[in-house]
Amino acid sequence: MTDSTQNPVVLVELDEANWNRFLDRAARWFDNLLVVQSSYRQLLEDTAGKIAEFHIRAYLQEMAEQAKAHEQQIDRLYHIIGRDPSTIRQGLGTLLGKADQVVGDLMAASSGLAGPWQDLHQLYLSCTNTLSAFGVAEQLGLALGLPEIIDITFPVQLDKGRDQRLLQEFALEMAGLSILYRQAF
Amino acid sequence: MNPVYQEKYQKERGKPFPIGPQNVGFAQASAEALCKLPTTARPVVNAQDTKVPDGYTVEAVMAGISLPNDLTFAPDGTLFVLEGGSSWPTRPYMPARIIRQRPSGEVDAIQMDIEGGPRGIAYRDGELYISIKGGYFTRIVKYNLETGQLTTLIDQLPNGGWHEPGGPVFGPDGLMYFGQGSVSQQGVVLPQGFMVDMAKHPTAHDVPGQDITLTGHNYWSHDPLAPFPYLVETGGFKPFKTPAQAGEVVPGQRFCSSGVWRSKPDGTDVELLAWGVRNPFGMAINEGGALYVSDNDLEEYGHRAVAQDPDRIWHIKNASQPFGSVQTPDWYGFPDICADGLPVDHPSHVPIKGEAAKPILKDPPPWAGPAAYLEKPHSAMAKMAFCPSDAFGFKGDLFACEWGTMAPLNTPRQEALTHGFKVIRLNVETGQAEDFFTNQSPGPASALKNGGLERPVACQFSPDGRSLYVLDFGVAVIKNGTLLAYAHTGVLWKITKTA
Repeated sequence: MTDSTQNPVVLVELDEANWNRFLDRAARWFDNLLVVQSSYRQLLEDTAGKIAEFHIRAYLQEMAEQAKAHEQQIDRLYHIIGRDPSTIRQGLGTLLGKADQVVGDLMAASSGLAGPWQDLHQLYLSCTNTLSAFGVAEQLGLALGLPEIIDITFPVQLDKGRDQRLLQEFALEMAGLSILYRQAF
Repeated sequence: MNPVYQEKYQKERGKPFPIGPQNVGFAQASAEALCKLPTTARPVVNAQDTKVPDGYTVEAVMAGISLPNDLTFAPDGTLFVLEGGSSWPTRPYMPARIIRQRPSGEVDAIQMDIEGGPRGIAYRDGELYISIKGGYFTRIVKYNLETGQLTTLIDQLPNGGWHEPGGPVFGPDGLMYFGQGSVSQQGVVLPQGFMVDMAKHPTAHDVPGQDITLTGHNYWSHDPLAPFPYLVETGGFKPFKTPAQAGEVVPGQRFCSSGVWRSKPDGTDVELLAWGVRNPFGMAINEGGALYVSDNDLEEYGHRAVAQDPDRIWHIKNASQPFGSVQTPDWYGFPDICADGLPVDHPSHVPIKGEAAKPILKDPPPWAGPAAYLEKPHSAMAKMAFCPSDAFGFKGDLFACEWGTMAPLNTPRQEALTHGFKVIRLNVETGQAEDFFTNQSPGPASALKNGGLERPVACQFSPDGRSLYVLDFGVAVIKNGTLLAYAHTGVLWKITKTA
């Protein structure tokens, strides 16, 4: 025999006030994720335009298309937790400008190399950053018992894992050419 | 062990880690709150979707628990529910803490800051005894509820790998009983567990409880930590990438892996009772002092695959010997003998997925089987409790939780998909068992799309002996080729005799 209880039940961190606090904090991480992903997507588009070598350029252009789709998925993450991304989206242009400045500063400090290799290397690091940021979003989904978040973040991480390997490979393949021979590609 | 880690460990091992009471967001709610929970992995908890024998009633008394592993009671009725922190899989990593509900209904938590997490808990004389997994060694500590003092009792149980600590539990003899599962999943450290083990503990390996001689059967695998996929060779009782030699003797250690021990409550005079128990996660002692230990089967996948090894409950016979008199521990078969007593390379255990296993031990010790009970493979038998009272009925029977299968991750067999996900009642004298607490249909609630039972991980009887509390780990699903566990989906069920 089974029966529904009439006795009070202890809810561990599931009450409305506590849960909303968790969701607000998750939304702040999604803000970070959006900035990081948008910055990566812009860097991808810019770098693809600087590379003459056909194969690498084509790979980067394909990644850029995929990065756009991933960026749109972040809006869905906000909606899953009942939050609105519009505020952070409005400020995104300013934030991306600052991110570009950081990239520019890094390049200026690194040996005065010519050509797009530094962009490519920066792209590799940026991709790793986005992979990590989506991974964190996934942890939040697991911690909050929300599989809808994992449905988004898991395939994105698979894509990014492959992209990261590819970018690492390109950056390493072209390193000797760029650093020792000072050649563009 | 890595030299830097070893040096730091030796310096730090005696020091207590931060632990103490903490405010946590608890709320008392009506039962209606269970109909619309914010966790979409488990949106509803409904006892009507479960089944217990006639004359018993079941209700959910706590929800939103994160990755729980164990529970215990103080004699006054205070309930302690252990949240495991990092458990199965290692992420999400949630706070490792003990939720305490006093008889008045007041709830708070005792939180600990520790890598890995607690796995077992027992109350004794105003102190909580806790087994903790994390790093290269499992620890047993005690926490004084009045003074807040933390004391390390045991800190040398080899771990850093796949399986779990068992216990601690206390016997009628006043002694503390505890266990530690194997470091490797299948007898050899191979890249088939969660890779984080290899990254965190690259030199971890199994340790035998008796001197053993190796056959020299090694296994080739890729190295997931290397940039290029060249193959490496690894043998049993060796760190990853270290082959064994035929005829090589590995000395037995008192602090072995796959072991079951007892000691005085202060952790002294440790006595090894048994080894070769793959995962002694569940331990229970009856009024007569007989010790029973649950254990999980070898998996049917990877480089040392074994098919159709039953889950099991062992009777640890050496626990009935006078304390301090056990000269030779009994051996229960890991890594070479299945629970049915047949060797891993027997035709009935040849896998349909993965590379067939070969024996690791040459001239192994005598097998201490047969098992007290054999269960379907991949039922994932977990913690257990003997019924202490006629008030509940079935006094003296063993109630055993079955966490439930990880298929298709660890076996390709379709029939394994619904194994486990229930609590059974076992008469240990006759070996007869029957289901006691299940869903209306086989399988977990998340697969059945209802509000029933998910993954029972531990059970305990209330001090008055009237109710059985069943701790439900929550939602853990195999998806996209991996195990995903959702925090805040654990439930505590209470089963009471009504007639």
